[in-house]
Amino acid sequence: MIEYMSQALVTTFTCSNITALVLGTLIGIVVGILPGLGPMVGMVVLLPFTFALPPAVALSLLLGVFCGGYFGGAVPAILMRTPGVPSSLVTSFDGFPLTQKGEAQTALSAALVGSLGGGIISVFILIFLAPALAHVAASFGPPEYFAAGLLGVVLVVMAYREKLAKGLILLGLGLWISTVGIDGPTLVPRFCFGTLAMQNGLHLVPVCLGLFGIGQTLMLVERKILVNARMSLTRRTLDFSKIAATLKYWKSLILSGVIGTFVGLLPGTGSILASFLSYETVKKVSGRAEAFGKGAPEGCLASEAGNNAVPAGAMIPLLTLGIPGDALSAVLLGVFTINGIYPGPLLLIKEPVLINTLYLSMLLINIVAFVILAIWLRPFAMVVRVSNTLLASIIMSLSLVGIYAVNTRLFDAGVALVMGTLGYILLRLEWPVVNLVMGVVLGEILEERLRESLSMSEGNPLIFLERPISLFLFVATFLIIVIPVLWDSRKARIRARNKGRDFS
Amino acid sequence: MAQKTNPKSRVHDLLGAVLGLFAAIVMATSPWQVDTSGPYPFYKGALIFPLMALGLMVMGSVPSFIRLLRPGATDSWHLDGGGLPRRPAVVLSMAVAFIIGIPMIGLEISCILFTASMLYYLGHRSPKIYVFWPLLLSGVFYLVFKYFLDVYFPTPLLLEYLGG
Repeated sequence: MIEYMSQALVTTFTCSNITALVLGTLIGIVVGILPGLGPMVGMVVLLPFTFALPPAVALSLLLGVFCGGYFGGAVPAILMRTPGVPSSLVTSFDGFPLTQKGEAQTALSAALVGSLGGGIISVFILIFLAPALAHVAASFGPPEYFAAGLLGVVLVVMAYREKLAKGLILLGLGLWISTVGIDGPTLVPRFCFGTLAMQNGLHLVPVCLGLFGIGQTLMLVERKILVNARMSLTRRTLDFSKIAATLKYWKSLILSGVIGTFVGLLPGTGSILASFLSYETVKKVSGRAEAFGKGAPEGCLASEAGNNAVPAGAMIPLLTLGIPGDALSAVLLGVFTINGIYPGPLLLIKEPVLINTLYLSMLLINIVAFVILAIWLRPFAMVVRVSNTLLASIIMSLSLVGIYAVNTRLFDAGVALVMGTLGYILLRLEWPVVNLVMGVVLGEILEERLRESLSMSEGNPLIFLERPISLFLFVATFLIIVIPVLWDSRKARIRARNKGRDFS
Repeated sequence: MAQKTNPKSRVHDLLGAVLGLFAAIVMATSPWQVDTSGPYPFYKGALIFPLMALGLMVMGSVPSFIRLLRPGATDSWHLDGGGLPRRPAVVLSMAVAFIIGIPMIGLEISCILFTASMLYYLGHRSPKIYVFWPLLLSGVFYLVFKYFLDVYFPTPLLLEYLGG
């Protein structure tokens, strides 16, 4: 263990890893600060560049964007009530009132300390929980993996249960896209429509980059999402005396970090829920509930600790089961598989140095992001003044050339444009695009495990109910579908009864 | 300025129905799209999973089909008041031209033309912006992709034609 850790320390502090980590964090902060972009756009635009990099460096770069994005999102939420990332909306509840009172520094200090604390707590939980979960997952066979993958997919679909039909359509589309190309076991071309280019399949990179990078850019071109007229900040750096003052909320910090990690662990829940749950819990526990929403620094701290704990939380099912919890970790899964590394319980045994490097990099990213924003707070905050159309032009051209560079195929750039058009339509209609990405990423895993399981049982689907872990996961999946439906119908019945009473 | 998206707009049903119809067509034609004549039984074969995925799409689109065919009295096509997406459509056309332009006129010229025309179309009238940024981006792309990453880009057809 110590040997692996010392090797990981050396790998973490190599020049290339530190450069990737700092660069990723810088880009993450910038895309996090810019409302309408977010870490997903940053990650997918950088994805083509990671192919030439060793896995640890590539992951540090993308994790830097992932975590840095959440750090950056708090800045415009506090200063302009415009969240850079959706989960920072909760930070604006108390952050913006503090800015209006002339206490922007207090709010920013609380938010950044919250982000740092939440990030570090969640990495420690990841370090201790991942091996335990991997130990359980080591007894998994194909039926258990299929059941776990299905549970992940169902959790994501049910997270948007008010858009259930739309979610099912997109999940189905994603799963179907993952089957296009030559089928591995039978070597039969599938859904290639007579074209040679389709035989290589529709790769994750053009699909993700199209859906999020190009789709979001087209939204930016149309909507002019960035609002930049009201941004102002007098101090260049963070006021360090305010940081010390926020440390008195250490109990809230730990509580929010733990809540955020466990919410991040569940597929489909997302950082908004983590932020909101942490905020509400701290509000109840603090005994100062009346101050929340009017400018309580503790609110900013809780919300940011909650959402910044999500990336490490999402890494737990990703590393131990190979199941991503959201679109961002789905992209990370893509980086693993492209490098021939398959996350699962054996990953912790097979690649201990990579895993320890990942842990250390995540710890460092949180510290680097905090230091960068504390020192260059105003220059970063002013990033929102960059013209959105200029940004759109840069992202669009960089995305297209980057996609071409991955396989030197113009066909991939065409796929990205088609996916970009679809992404734009789905984003404008507010359909759950994450279901589509989850389908594309999990499709291959689910199909492989399903066919392996059915081969084991010679086509008998009851194999999924004959094994205890698989049965447990199927029952959990069933309950996740049934309980919310029953709950919703009960609420509807009560509402109808109350309405009837009002009329009578 | 666009308003909040109307979740009951018939545009949602139209998209759901189009995707469902696509899935149904692909499902119906799948025996011709996927060769299943090999020795594998259906449960091990190449078609079981795609059929499940397409089935999911068709299932999800049934409510959209029903609502599209039998709209409610208050249903409308109003989505968000944003109108037709002209700007995204024009930008998308430019991007298509950019992609086609790479093998025709080369990465650098294609990039300069694409970025400059996009910036001009999106309202930048200062030459400092629509001349400087395209030149800068083109230079960065050349350095990163051609010089450092050594990515192969096809020789421009125009250059081949001019060079005889």
